[in-house]
Amino acid sequence: MKKTDAQREDIARWLAGTDIGYFELHTPFETLRFGAPEARPAATTLRAGSVGVFRHAHPLHAAALAPIGEPVPAGRAVGLLQIGPLLLPVIAPVAGRVARRLADDGATVGFGAPLIEFQTN
Amino acid sequence: MIEILSNAALATVQDLGRSGSLRWGVGTAGAMDDLALAAGNLMLGNAVGAAGIEIPVFPFKLRFGADCAFALTGADCDARLDERPLLPWWTHRARAGEVLALGVPKGPMRASRALLCLSGGVDVPEVLGSRSTQLRGAFGGFDGRALKRGDVLRCGHDGHGRPTGFGLVPPALAMPLQRDGIAAVRVLPAAEYLAFEPASREAFWNRAWKITAQSDRYGYRLDGEALRPIAPMELLSHGIVPGVIQVPHSGQPIVQMRDAQPSGGYPKFGTVIEADLWRLGQAPIGSRIRFIETTWAQAVAARDEARQWLAKVERMVALHCGARSSGR
Amino acid sequence: MNAPPATPAFSLLGTTALLFEAPGAFDLEAQQRIWALAKEAEAWPEIREAVPGMKNLMLTFVEPPQTLDALQARLMAAWEAARPLARRGRVVELPVVYGGAGGPHMADVVAHTGLSVERIVELHSAPLYPVYALGSHPGYCYLGGMDPRLATPRRQVPVMSIPGGAVSIGGAQTGVSASAGPSGWNTIGSTTMSFFDPAADPPAALQPGDMIRFRVEEVL
Repeated sequence: MKKTDAQREDIARWLAGTDIGYFELHTPFETLRFGAPEARPAATTLRAGSVGVFRHAHPLHAAALAPIGEPVPAGRAVGLLQIGPLLLPVIAPVAGRVARRLADDGATVGFGAPLIEFQTN
Repeated sequence: MIEILSNAALATVQDLGRSGSLRWGVGTAGAMDDLALAAGNLMLGNAVGAAGIEIPVFPFKLRFGADCAFALTGADCDARLDERPLLPWWTHRARAGEVLALGVPKGPMRASRALLCLSGGVDVPEVLGSRSTQLRGAFGGFDGRALKRGDVLRCGHDGHGRPTGFGLVPPALAMPLQRDGIAAVRVLPAAEYLAFEPASREAFWNRAWKITAQSDRYGYRLDGEALRPIAPMELLSHGIVPGVIQVPHSGQPIVQMRDAQPSGGYPKFGTVIEADLWRLGQAPIGSRIRFIETTWAQAVAARDEARQWLAKVERMVALHCGARSSGR
Repeated sequence: MNAPPATPAFSLLGTTALLFEAPGAFDLEAQQRIWALAKEAEAWPEIREAVPGMKNLMLTFVEPPQTLDALQARLMAAWEAARPLARRGRVVELPVVYGGAGGPHMADVVAHTGLSVERIVELHSAPLYPVYALGSHPGYCYLGGMDPRLATPRRQVPVMSIPGGAVSIGGAQTGVSASAGPSGWNTIGSTTMSFFDPAADPPAALQPGDMIRFRVEEVL
């Protein structure tokens, strides 16, 4: 039996009292959807691939590689990990922006240490 | 494969220099910043002495005619690959058709020469054991001359499968050398050092010297107080090497650089040590330098320090590229 | 000219090379001893190349040694034992146009020596000049045997470019440029000759032991 509009409103009212962003109800007759799957931006934590020194900027530059909040394309280096003479990039996995830096400039970090909170679009 | 898009850029093909031909009056030539060339090669997995392109004048542009891995070291020159900004002292992958554009180096710590290394090295014939350009005599490198618009150069291979997208902390930061905030190089006194007046000797070590516009791969002419010999000297011609500081009659010193004559007859005040030639090679025209008096032991140790830095680079690059290749 | 030193002099050219300067008069026999010393030192494992100059020898290092005393002692002993290495080479005659546009500094040599152009040409073209050493630029020959009356100091300010074939005097020496380039010498004439071919073996047309004669083609 299909849900009536009144029953749909009941479900919507109930959902509004929760922190559920998206709700799908599958019945033999239909699928009801409430909210939007991409309503809230996803955040991902970029982590150190090895032990090293975290750098916000290239050693030759004053400005940070990716200023907080500035949009960057996928593949852009948003931080550096220095291991001896080597510099490895911390790479934006998708287009997005740096929301927060989670380690200080010049801090020694361990493998897997959280470096950047990266917000995808 | 690359095609040069710029003219009058004085860019030349250089490797680490031509040795064993001094007996025929052939000097070594080679990269003014040998450390940058070596490091760029090591990042690409090339032989450390593979030929690269030295670019002393900016802006500079070239187009990749085929896929290629490359490294850009030396001067930080706001490089872009098809408008995508590139990090300095870094390796990159280019696709056929992409244009590499180098801008003008800026800032107080700017260097003056960029080194472009290509996967497999620049493929030009070896002449007398080297691919360096011998400008006087016009042989070696690319037809014995500076590169022009339209020149096409081949790489040894396309670098397929070689990890790119990593870089190095530049040696100017890893091994800094300054006196009173001014870039400095170490000097060993030479044969005629004591034949100069004490006041001149003191001035040489204690003042800053300006690199005049009459400076190039043959030699750097310095501006400063005239160095006075105790008595006039006329010497017989003798062998010299890059780094030798000659004092002609005018008293204004000339530091012989990579394209210097392999012999000369002017009085020799001192020699910039081999380990510091790259620092001088990167000092821009108009900038000032200081000279630091050093001993034989210190000069040999400085050479060892540079060697060790390169060895460390090679080890770290191999570790990183090995790890990348095995999928870790 | 400075008085020649009584004992050999050793000095450093950075960490790249050692310079050995022989004492005594400067003549063919002294230079032949330098050739002998070069031949011996070249075989030493720490020496990359032994490059004769004018009564001196530059030794470039494969690696700079930790200390220099042992090498200097060996070099000193080798010099004392060195006997003149005679080399019978070929005689090459070069036609020279003296003065004119190809000899822009003839007037400076006239002024310094007090000799007339004709006398300078006569004294310069008379001898058979032995090739003492190569240096300066590819194929360039340093010649011995110039008449001391022609000696003229190197120029106050080196000239930015002198063409190949330029016949010049610098101090007590004379030579011919093999290609265009800067020079601090006084150019008195010009000649035509191919001194260097990088594809040839050896690449230099002349070597120590050969002799050059300047034939007067014209005096402008």
